[in-house]
Order: sequence, then structure tokens, then C-alpha cells
Amino acid sequence: MSIVWGKQKKRSARARATRIGALPLTSMIDVVFLLLIFFLVTSNFAQQERELPSALQTEGGGVRASDLQPQVVEIRMLDGSPVFVIGERAVRTRVDLQALLSQLPKEPGVAVKSDPEVPISAVAAALQAARDAGFTKRSYVPQNAP
Amino acid sequence: MLALDLTPMIDVVFQLIIFFMFTSHFGQMMRTEINLPREKGDEREVQQQPAMIIDIQTDGRYFVESREASLNEIERLARSGIAESKGGGPKFDVLIRPDQTAPASDLDRVLTRLSAIGVIDWKIGTIVPDGSGS
Repeated sequence: MSIVWGKQKKRSARARATRIGALPLTSMIDVVFLLLIFFLVTSNFAQQERELPSALQTEGGGVRASDLQPQVVEIRMLDGSPVFVIGERAVRTRVDLQALLSQLPKEPGVAVKSDPEVPISAVAAALQAARDAGFTKRSYVPQNAP
Repeated sequence: MLALDLTPMIDVVFQLIIFFMFTSHFGQMMRTEINLPREKGDEREVQQQPAMIIDIQTDGRYFVESREASLNEIERLARSGIAESKGGGPKFDVLIRPDQTAPASDLDRVLTRLSAIGVIDWKIGTIVPDGSGS
């Protein structure tokens, strides 16, 4: 008796819902999931990769556009941390290197070379500092590894 | 009665948007997760993909297109790339995505090989450091 009563109640409720025009739940969930995926994907793309362009130069001559000798930034390791050396001067931080490079003439360009054990982050830092200091001619001189 | 059902319409439109977003960024999606140097760098032009992408892992292994490659293989690939660009293709350039803690000797080793066969332009892949906008 009670089962029949429940069935009847359910049917009437459904009939009422369609009469009003209820939202189709399945497609709604579909769209909501799509939105979710969309925002997941776009938030992942927020951390886009950048790049630091530079030229390659071989040790001792090679192809050189001008006769001017580029200033050389050497990266060495000292007490476990990288040190940037330009001529006589040595600096430890990227900010100091950029300040030092911005005083130099830009026309000859800058060449970066590093000791084998220097982390690549220091190489990238030197190239970034040269770029920020206004050098357009930046080159990297790979050392012949043993 | 001509009633346009809005829900499946939105459904299809979103599918299309996501499809085009995925395909346009497919080159970047293919790249492996790597601990790149934290530098501002230059913005990458989406249309211009580098001819060759070399990943350098912390342990000194090289990966080209997400497959491990020896120095000889890299040299061979670069040679064919250069030959292609000489035959009227786009300029050959190399993007190197190094782990920031990897030693510079790993970088030097591959760059020495590349410069020996005439590669002039290369780029180092970076990622924007946290806390600095754009």
C-alpha cells in the first residue's frame, strides 16, 4: 500500500517539474565540468617559460662581427658560491654585476664564460644582468670540457 | 517550434575553445617539467618555435624532444637541422632548457659541439621568478 503511494507521489513530482521546465541536470554538470577543466588548463599556462637569447663564440678568435674586443664576464666558484669577475673587479650578486656592466660601453658587447663547476643558474644570471644593463651583443664562450 | 537549446550550444563552444587552446600550446605541453633558472628573460613568440630543444638534467643527461640523446645524436640532429635551414627553411636556433643546479660544464659540453658545426644562436630557457609580475 505504502509502496504504491510512494510511486504515485514520485510520478506526480516529476510531472510537475517538466511542466515548469526544470534545468536538465546532466548537461548542466557537463558544462560545469568543462568550465572546471578550462580554468585548470588556463591556470597552468599562467607560468609561461621565457628565454634568454645569446650568441655562441669559440675560444680564441672565431667569428667576430667587429674588431672591438668584448668585455669578458668570468664566472668562478669561490667558497661554494659563484663570483662574477670583470677584469680586476669581482662581484657576488646579480644586482652588483648589472650596476658594473651598465657603466661599461655597450658597443663591443659582452662575452660570458664560466668555470665547469659553476651552476647554470649563475650563467643565466650573468646573461640576464647583461641584458638588463643594455647590452644587445651578448655571447657565451663554452669552455672545452675534459 | 524553433527553440535553440542553449546548454549543448555552450557545451560545444567550450569544447572548441579548449581544443584550440590545447593545440596552440601543444609545443609547450610536450615539454618536460624542469627546474629552470629563475630569470625574467624575454617573452617567447608563440608562433616561432625553436628548431631544436635540448633539456639538461641535474645528472648531466641530455634530452631532445623528451627523449634521451647522447652528444653524438644531438650533433647529428643539429647537422640535419642546419642542412634543412640552408635549403630555404627557417633559421636554425637552439633552445636549451637546463636544470638551474646543473654544472656549467654540461652546458659547455653541448655548446662546444654545436658551435663546432656552425650554430651561432642559442637561447637559455628560464622561468619568471616568483613575486615579480610579468
